[in-house]
Amino acid sequence: MIELKNLTRKYGKKIAVNKLNMTMDKHRITMLIGPSGCGKTTTLKMINRLIESTEGDIIINGESIYNLDAVQLRRSIGYVIQEIGLFPHMNVFDNIAAVPRLLQWNEKKIKSRVEDLLDLVTLNTSYMYKYPLQLSGGESQRVGLARALAADPEILLMDEPFGAIDPINRAKLHESFMSIQEKIKKTIVFVTHDINEAIKLGDKIAILKNGDLIQHDNVNNILYEPENEFVEKLLGHDRNIKALVLKKNKDYIQRDGFLVVKRGEKPEKVLDLITAAGKKSALAVDSEGRFEGEFFTRISKHTKELRLEFNDEIVSLEKNGNLQETLSLMIETGESIMPVTSNKNNFEGIINLNDIFSELGSGEK
Amino acid sequence: MFFEYLINNQAEILRMIIQHLFLFSVSTMIAIISGIFISIISTLEGYEKFGRVLLTVSGMAQAVPSIAVVALVFLVVGIGMKPAIIALIIYSIVPIIFNTSSGLLSVNAKTIEAARGVGFTNNQILWKIKMPIASPVIIAGIRSAATINIGTATIASLIGGGGLGDLIFIGIKLQKHHITIIGAVLTALIAIIVDISLQAAGKKIIPRGLAIVTK
Repeated sequence: MIELKNLTRKYGKKIAVNKLNMTMDKHRITMLIGPSGCGKTTTLKMINRLIESTEGDIIINGESIYNLDAVQLRRSIGYVIQEIGLFPHMNVFDNIAAVPRLLQWNEKKIKSRVEDLLDLVTLNTSYMYKYPLQLSGGESQRVGLARALAADPEILLMDEPFGAIDPINRAKLHESFMSIQEKIKKTIVFVTHDINEAIKLGDKIAILKNGDLIQHDNVNNILYEPENEFVEKLLGHDRNIKALVLKKNKDYIQRDGFLVVKRGEKPEKVLDLITAAGKKSALAVDSEGRFEGEFFTRISKHTKELRLEFNDEIVSLEKNGNLQETLSLMIETGESIMPVTSNKNNFEGIINLNDIFSELGSGEK
Repeated sequence: MFFEYLINNQAEILRMIIQHLFLFSVSTMIAIISGIFISIISTLEGYEKFGRVLLTVSGMAQAVPSIAVVALVFLVVGIGMKPAIIALIIYSIVPIIFNTSSGLLSVNAKTIEAARGVGFTNNQILWKIKMPIASPVIIAGIRSAATINIGTATIASLIGGGGLGDLIFIGIKLQKHHITIIGAVLTALIAIIVDISLQAAGKKIIPRGLAIVTK
C-alpha cells in the first residue's frame, strides 16, 4: 500500500503537484491519467524519489520513504519506462540481471531468476544474449518489465510503458501484462495518457489536472459517475462503448437457441436436423467438443434442392476476451452471432450482438 | 643509400625511436588521463552547461595548428624535453576532451533515468552506464590524439624535444633527402602500428551491443 499525504511539488512558483492525498491499494493497478502537465509523471517519480517532494509525505507499508536511503528505496521498487530505457550496451541477460547484481546476489541465483522472468514475460531463453538493438518494440518492453521485476519488488512503477508501441502490439502486450499481473499481484502505479488503456488495465483510476486530484475511484464508478465535466470529456462521448472493455465474453455466453452437431455426422442427417429445427445453419464440433466450423443450407440454383455446405473459416471468440473486442470483431466480420471457445478451442456457446446492444442501452452498471 | 645510412647509424636511430616513443607515450598517457578526468568532471549532472562550453572550446581549439602550440610553449616554458612533452599534452588533450565530453553528453537521458530509477548510484551510472556507452567515441578520440601526437612529436624537436624529428630536420638542413625520408617513414610506421593496436584494443573494450549499430 502506498499512501500519499499532502504530497506537493513546486518548481519555483509553479505548482506541479498540489497537496495530493490518495492511497494506492496493495496488489492492484492504479492508473494515473490526465493531460500533459497534470503532474502524473511527477507524482510517479516522487514515489521512487527521482523527484523529491517539496512538501508532504509518501508512506509505503507504514514507513515514510524519506526515512530510507533513496538508492536502496529504488532497488526495492520496480521501474519501467518507454522502451528506450534498456541499457544498449548490455544484452538481455545483463539488463535483467542489473538490479540483482546491484544487490549482490550470486550469479547462480541470478541466472535462474533471469530464466524464470523470461518465461514469465513469454520470451524464449534464446533472447538472453540478444542486445536491445536487436529487439522489436514489444520485445524490448517485455525485457523492460522483466528487468523491473528482477529483484521481486512489491511495487512496480510504470511510466507510459506502452506509449511507443503500435496499437496492434500494444493490445497484445496489454493481454500479457494483465495475465502476468494475475500471477504476480504487484502493487502497480501506471502513468498513461490513453484513457482506453486506463480503463482496460486499471483497477482504479486517478485523474489529475494541473496538479490537482480530480477523481480517484474504481473504473466502474469513474465511467458511470464522472465527478465533473472535465472527467466526462476525458472519458469521451462513447464511454458506454469504452465500458464494454470491462465486460467479459464468458458472462454473455448463450448456451441454447442454436443447433450443435458433430462434424462427422452424415450430411443427410445434419440437413434433416437443420430443417426440423427451422434453422438455416448448425455449428459443428469434433468428438472432443472442439469447435470446427458451421454447416449451412443453401438452395441450389439448378436443381432448386436444399443443399448442405460447410464453412471451416468461422472466426470464434475467446472466452476470456472482452465485449469491446467482440463488438469490433462482429462489425469487422459482419456476423451478428459468433461462437465462443475456451482457450483449448472447446466450444462454449455463442454471443449475440443484440445482447451487447442491450448492455450498451442499459448503461448504468 | 638508405640501408647504408640505417646500418651505419643504427644505434643513434634506435635511440631516436625510443626517445620518440617516450615523448609520445608519456604525453599521450597524461593527456588521456587528464582529458578524461576533466571531461567527466565537466559533464557531471548539473554541470552539463560547463561541459557544453568545454565542448565548443575544444572543438575550436582543434583548429589551432600544432606548430603554433609548440611555439607558444617554447615562449613560456623554454627549451628541452619537458617543454616538448608539455606542448604535446596540450595539443593531444584537445581531441580527447572533445570526444569524451561529447560522448558523455550524448548518452540518452532516458537511459540514465532508467539506471537511476532502478537504483544505480551516481558512480555506478558513470562507470557502468555512461562510460561504456560513450566508449566508442572516447576511443576514437584517443586514436586520433595518439596519431596526431606521433606526428606532432617530430615538430617538438624544434624546441629540443629530440626524437625522430631530429632526423627529419637534420636531413632538411644538410639537404640529404634520404635522411629526411628515413625519419618520416619511421614516424609514419610508428603511427600506423599504434593506430592498428589501438583499434584492436578498442574492439575489446567497446561493448558488443553498441557495435551492432554500425551493421
